[in-house]
Amino acid sequence: MEITAKELLQITSRIGSMLIEYGAEIYRVEDSIYRIAAAYGFYGGTSGKDKKIEVFAIPASLIITVNDGSEVPLTQTVRISSRETNLDRVDKLNNLSRFICVEKPDTATINKHISEICERKIYNYPVRLISYAVVGATFALFFGGTPFDALFAGLISMIVFAVSIFVNKVKPSVFFQSVIGSVVIASIAVIVSKAGLTGSFDKIIIGASMNLVPGITLTNCMRDFIAGDFLAGMYTLTEAILTAVGMAVGAASAIAVFNMI
Amino acid sequence: MDIMKDMALPCIYSLIASIAFGVQFNIRFRHMLAAGIGAMLTQLIFTGFEISGMGQMICYFFSAAAVSVYAELMARRVHVPVNMYLVVGIIPLVPGGYMYNTMITLVSGDVESFSHQFAASVGIAGSIAMGIFAVSAIVRLLRIITRQSI
Repeated sequence: MEITAKELLQITSRIGSMLIEYGAEIYRVEDSIYRIAAAYGFYGGTSGKDKKIEVFAIPASLIITVNDGSEVPLTQTVRISSRETNLDRVDKLNNLSRFICVEKPDTATINKHISEICERKIYNYPVRLISYAVVGATFALFFGGTPFDALFAGLISMIVFAVSIFVNKVKPSVFFQSVIGSVVIASIAVIVSKAGLTGSFDKIIIGASMNLVPGITLTNCMRDFIAGDFLAGMYTLTEAILTAVGMAVGAASAIAVFNMI
Repeated sequence: MDIMKDMALPCIYSLIASIAFGVQFNIRFRHMLAAGIGAMLTQLIFTGFEISGMGQMICYFFSAAAVSVYAELMARRVHVPVNMYLVVGIIPLVPGGYMYNTMITLVSGDVESFSHQFAASVGIAGSIAMGIFAVSAIVRLLRIITRQSI
């Protein structure tokens, strides 16, 4: 099945931007696009072929240039402004690109598969609310808290989830997100312990804060560094450090304010 | 030592917590249990190293390396991205206690214990990263070698 440069550009930019958005590693994005292009006879780098493709991706943007041997190459740039982790869709997109490499289907089939992936269900709000509470409560126990600490950590995690839904509507930066989250956690935990409901607030704060830990950014960053994508690695490393600093700043300022009162 | 309190309970906690984390990352249910077991194994290996009296950083390094090996093997077996198991698996290693202590010593203005706690949390995070780094680098090397030989 032959496809034109324009169609290839449209498919690869769609798949690539979705992969970045749902939290795939950057080297996986570039690799998938090169493989899809190679299935239709477009090769990257200095292969010496007429039909060429070049991809450059970082977590904030994706640039693809396709040349089908004519004089004018085609370029598309996609800016990725918001990202949400959805490893299920990354898995399905990965399967799709493997399928494209083997079967070489036409564009209509590929677009149908992509729309199917976009419609895959994500966990609804109640399930995610419970998962936040479970994470908070079990980590409060894990770090040596009492069952009472776990109860409050679970409740506070639920509040953080509710707050984060509202805060995410204005699309804040990762730093701001983690500051808000940890201010909420620390101030409620301090109020609860000052009211005499629990002994100390430290296990509550640790447990509930685990919901904000940048786990996926750190793993992606390490895997990008190994693959040689240093720019993408630095980007995600900065993001992970900023999130951790934001958590510390938020909790520290909340505790300092309550200590003064 | 109390086996129930020091070994079994943390393992159960990390199993439950990592399954809940799986929901946040939108992992399907059938992968979630395997990922949770990975996190439980990590905790078990970590406790084992800790009992044997090794240095703290070494404990974190080898536990992170172990979970990376588990994630690579599982991902090959069921054909999913390695991330899916790796991200959930390292959750029990996150040094929440040290990070909290760093912050609280900063608030109280105790510079000496702040620098101690800060060094510990940065060191632990670094060891976990290096553990993942080492295993992924070896796997990548193996893949390049096997691909060329074919």
